[in-house]
Amino acid sequence: MTGSIAQFQLLTAKDLKIEARSRQTMSLVLVLGVLIVVVLGLGLGTTNNVAGFNAMAVLWVAYLFSGVLCFEKTMAVERNDNVLAGLMMAPLDRGLIYLSKLASNLILMLAVAAVVTPAGILFFGFDLSAAPGSFAAVMLLGILGFAAIGTLFSAAVSSTRLQGGLLAMMVFPVSLPLVVVSTQLMIRTFRDGQAPGLSGIGILVAFDAIFLVVSWMVFELVLEP
Amino acid sequence: MCTPRKIFIRAYWLVTFALFAIAIGAVIEYAPDEETMGPIQKIFYLHLPVAISTFLACLVCFIASLGYLVQRKTWWDDLAAAAARVAVQLCAVVLLTGMIWGKSAWGQWWTWSPRLTFSLVLWLLYVVYLTVRVSVESGQRRAVISAIYGIIAFLDVPLVWLSVRLMPDIHPESIELAAPMKLTLALWFVPVVLLTAGLIVAKFNLNQIQRKRSAVLEDEKSTAATSGPLHWAGGAA
Amino acid sequence: MTRASSAIFEAKRANPATPEPVVRCQRLSKSIDDRSVLREIDLQVGAGSYLALLGANGAGKSTLLKIVATLIPATSGEIELFGNPLSHNSASVRARIGFIAHQSMLYRDLSTRENLEFYAGLYSLKNARARVRRMLEMVGLSGRANDPVKTFSRGMVQRAAIARALLHDPDLILADEPFSGLDAPSIESLERFFSELHVAGKTIILVNHDIDQSLRLAERAIVLRGGRIAVDSPTYRLYPREVLSEVSA
Repeated sequence: MTGSIAQFQLLTAKDLKIEARSRQTMSLVLVLGVLIVVVLGLGLGTTNNVAGFNAMAVLWVAYLFSGVLCFEKTMAVERNDNVLAGLMMAPLDRGLIYLSKLASNLILMLAVAAVVTPAGILFFGFDLSAAPGSFAAVMLLGILGFAAIGTLFSAAVSSTRLQGGLLAMMVFPVSLPLVVVSTQLMIRTFRDGQAPGLSGIGILVAFDAIFLVVSWMVFELVLEP
Repeated sequence: MCTPRKIFIRAYWLVTFALFAIAIGAVIEYAPDEETMGPIQKIFYLHLPVAISTFLACLVCFIASLGYLVQRKTWWDDLAAAAARVAVQLCAVVLLTGMIWGKSAWGQWWTWSPRLTFSLVLWLLYVVYLTVRVSVESGQRRAVISAIYGIIAFLDVPLVWLSVRLMPDIHPESIELAAPMKLTLALWFVPVVLLTAGLIVAKFNLNQIQRKRSAVLEDEKSTAATSGPLHWAGGAA
Repeated sequence: MTRASSAIFEAKRANPATPEPVVRCQRLSKSIDDRSVLREIDLQVGAGSYLALLGANGAGKSTLLKIVATLIPATSGEIELFGNPLSHNSASVRARIGFIAHQSMLYRDLSTRENLEFYAGLYSLKNARARVRRMLEMVGLSGRANDPVKTFSRGMVQRAAIARALLHDPDLILADEPFSGLDAPSIESLERFFSELHVAGKTIILVNHDIDQSLRLAERAIVLRGGRIAVDSPTYRLYPREVLSEVSA
């Protein structure tokens, strides 16, 4: 067990090291995220402060597009020089490859969220003061679920030509429950002043749990050395 | 010519058609008009069975996707593709009948009611499935990617259903079904399910034929490429 | 080197008390997209042998190698590595296999040292630092150990790949067209290197398209044709011409 944890850390550290070395993805993704917030926010109108519930929708669009780019890149690392075969031949549980890719994707996405959310708050006065904790919790659960499927799908399409487009097309509809639930919860919290209901959070948790387990189990079948 | 299989196929479609005729007759003659909505309500008799059949088609796609991932036999892949295509077709009918219902009941072609939203998302989920298949060239890769997506999409369906129920529902739809209405509904179920199964099998057979045909073409191409020695026949004539 | 390898082969034949075969395939088949790539392969590879897998493009040699490497599953049949059937204990069996391919399987943004230390960690090797250093010396890359792999020439990349493949001291070495793209001096040193591995007792399975080279290097040659074994013979009994005609039949 401890061996697996060490291997997991090794795999994740390797991804982050490579990302830090090349710095390609992060700059692209951060800039794209901020751009989306600005463009969408402008579209929604700058005069009225965008209330918390609209903020969720704008931020989700930014997360969706940036996320797809992140997933694509962390998988593309394994395509060059058939490094994936090297990983597959190592004496480790291949589910660990999924978990480490998921961890890398989560870290990158949280980095994006850490930049994009304050940008939104700054430019459009997103008013999260009513329930910042709920906002953060809902956002985190959403990003986790999104990354769970995104990691699986990005491994599946990694060897195809239309990678990014295909990935976006597959991930968006499946992630709709996340978007719907989080925006509905935020509407109830920020506009109607209710505490986020357990049923809403329950759906998010169920989504995360189901897709984390299924993706982890199915991941090995998708790998093509 | 008249193999048992062809006789069976013809009998099958004849029976389905006959049952549809009976069902339509029941709708026109037998089922009473509903008080509030009038005759347009009768589109419900088509809407609900088709909606359930859509779900059945999605279930077949899910099982076939699982089957392919486990066994890697290509007929699973053909079955999944056939079921997904039928699901998209049926779901389009669900959407259209739902919209007609909505127009006559509330005067709007589209509302973001949970039921319509769910139908739309379901339709999109499986349209994406079909588009994924179009976008991937390699046969084996296409099968694996579609299978993964087929599994995830189906597991997503109940979550979509639960999440759209959180959305505000301005027009709650509750329908009181009197006994003759229930019977009419039952009369519609059978032909619709038969139609669904028939369409899936027909498309499945088509997929199999296409696969065999392209396999033969591939073989011909590859053997032709490496046969015969090379000779230089001089420069410009 | 042929004399040495035929001498080893004769020595092994004379001493029949050989241990468990390193690789044993029984009726191994593989279909991709309903197309049969391997048909009912029966194969045994004894410990310490040096085997060349030959065949035309598409004959199934790389597929067979990948199945032995546990990279892809077989469709039917059985395969045992080191006496263990492949499936449950795959992870521990993989620690005894080294794979050298045309592609390096190295992260090009990392340095050789970082790549090797990464793999050392994955394989849970003791004294990782020392082993990595020794490996780098052995392949002559100590001087460039901290440069990213993407700055290397093809020959250096291949050396780094060898370091990666042998870092965990595997007993079975699988090589898929390792000579492709190398210049003549690199080919010669790699050939000599494989022979040294052979003499040291490692089992080598080499997929190669160069028939003359393979017959010169290996002690046993198998020709695959249409997914089946067409020829299986010690190399000293084979002539390149007849192997060529088998391959291109």
